[in-house]
Amino acid sequence: MNSGLFLGLSPLLVVSLGGLLLMVAEAFSKRRVDETSDDRDAGPSSELSLGTAVTLLAGAVFAAAIWFVGPEKLEGASSVAPWVIVDRFTLFFSFVLCLGGALAALLAGGYLPEHRLDRGEFYPLIIFSTVGAMILASAGDLLSLFLGLETMSLGVYAMVGFRRASLRSTEAAVKYFLLGSFAAALLLYGGALLYGATGHTDLAGIREAIANMQPGKGSNFALVITAAVLIIVGLAFKVSAVPFHMWTPDAYEGAPTPTTTYMAVAVKCAAFATMLRVLIGAFGEGGLESWAAGWPPVVALLAVLTMTVANLVAGQQESVKRMLAYSSIAHAGYVLVGVVATMRAGGDAQGSVMFYLLTYTVSTVGAFGALILMGSRGAEAVSYEDLAGVGKRHPAAGFAFSLFLLSLAGVPPTAGFFGKLYIVKASIGAGLYPLAIILLLNSVISAYYYLRVMVYMYMREPAPGAPIAKPMRSGYVATALVVAGVLVLVLGLWPTTSLQIAVEAALATR
Amino acid sequence: MSTYVPLFLLFIVAAVLAGALFTISTVLGPKNPTPEKMIPYECGSETTGGRFVKPSVKFYLTAILFVVFDIEAVLIYPWTVEFKNLGWIGLATMGSFILMLVVALLYVWKKGALEWEK
Repeated sequence: MNSGLFLGLSPLLVVSLGGLLLMVAEAFSKRRVDETSDDRDAGPSSELSLGTAVTLLAGAVFAAAIWFVGPEKLEGASSVAPWVIVDRFTLFFSFVLCLGGALAALLAGGYLPEHRLDRGEFYPLIIFSTVGAMILASAGDLLSLFLGLETMSLGVYAMVGFRRASLRSTEAAVKYFLLGSFAAALLLYGGALLYGATGHTDLAGIREAIANMQPGKGSNFALVITAAVLIIVGLAFKVSAVPFHMWTPDAYEGAPTPTTTYMAVAVKCAAFATMLRVLIGAFGEGGLESWAAGWPPVVALLAVLTMTVANLVAGQQESVKRMLAYSSIAHAGYVLVGVVATMRAGGDAQGSVMFYLLTYTVSTVGAFGALILMGSRGAEAVSYEDLAGVGKRHPAAGFAFSLFLLSLAGVPPTAGFFGKLYIVKASIGAGLYPLAIILLLNSVISAYYYLRVMVYMYMREPAPGAPIAKPMRSGYVATALVVAGVLVLVLGLWPTTSLQIAVEAALATR
Repeated sequence: MSTYVPLFLLFIVAAVLAGALFTISTVLGPKNPTPEKMIPYECGSETTGGRFVKPSVKFYLTAILFVVFDIEAVLIYPWTVEFKNLGWIGLATMGSFILMLVVALLYVWKKGALEWEK
């Protein structure tokens, strides 16, 4: 019980406390709008959106501050380990998760009033879900890992079904809930078997027990393998890797777009964080990390399937939102390539994975944000036709969307290019040439559907008689886009500093 | 493995006992079915309405609130037993936990979840 402990946990505490305060403030606030109101500024969003963004950014600032102080210098912060581990890995992910959550909250501040969904519950949900995501990223024990996973997921389930009057939104929520709880059950089952086999629930203890195991001779090695498979499947559900991605397009499409943004960035990043912790922290020894008898070939297979299937299907979508959902699946595939590379290339590969997640976060928030910006009340932009000619009529909005799409496609001056470059470099460094080649081929395929959006925006005119898209006006959405845009360019022009930070963060887990 | 033998025995006894009771009452009991006896809910009065009734969502709210405060009680009991050993840290921890629940109570109260007629 000392100041080091509180400072070490301050990102979590600040965000939780802010969430509690905002929740009460929302309940006591007189700001209410009914569904028929035309006043976009009368609802709770006009205050809560900013409050949520500030709370989450405060969490990010605290994480950055502890980074500069040095988490290893904080006496007492280790007293909560292994349930919550305060190291540079945790701080890096806390920062990324808070950033993603804050930008999604700003997008909600514009989107919810615009589409008559202005109810204040959204903002506490996004904060508490981020708290869960941060616990997930810092968990060094299967119990706190599961707690974080459920805290994160519960908030998101509610956020997916936020458009209560819409059947699609409800369907998306039920689908996500059922498959999400199924995945959680698999993970829990894997954790139980692992505990049975090793007698430990903390990842370091599991690693040690596995390292001391002799395969074959009546040991629990078969149980460990079964547990590893169950845990990998459970996590693959959460990062939406093919063939466990079935829920993703429907859930992403049915959910309100700010929720989709949040799921695509924060939930996915937290799931990858815990995947790195479990695969390296628990399954990093005793032959499990080898190509011959471990998880790398399994994850590699998932990566190849995920990239290829997602990119092929994404090209056939007629809805831009659904296309972006498949694009986020494809990006999970690229990250999985990097995860495989960590087995041989070590900290550098893991750093490239984490840098990729950062670039992916800012690009995806931007792309969904631009899609939000293109729609207005009663006319949400979803299909390619909706975007016809927007680039000429509204150059700023068109430019923003193009920038983020180019980043997702991996075109040089943007962050996405260096994200992909480092993943490819890591996989070549690990000798995984086929994976690197498949990644590059997929990257080429993905350019087709990203550029298709730009073709519609700049080279097509709306069909005669078709409704003409009018971008919405919202300072919040514009702010989120500017922040994401600046980050995309900064990470693209000066990638080395952030990469070094990511590698340093990665080394904390090894 | 041998430690589980009594458990298996318990299962077997339970299954045999339950099976025997049902079989004996089916075989020995007098059978005199009348149409009234065969309706699903037999209590003398006519059944009305459909089989599927939509319960109000308020029941769900009340139930979930009950669970929240039930869990609070479950967590407070072991704390009281260890109260002296846990000391001030324990008191502070439990205080912050209860404070959070108070916040939750304030929230549901202001949101009108405690009002049945609304």
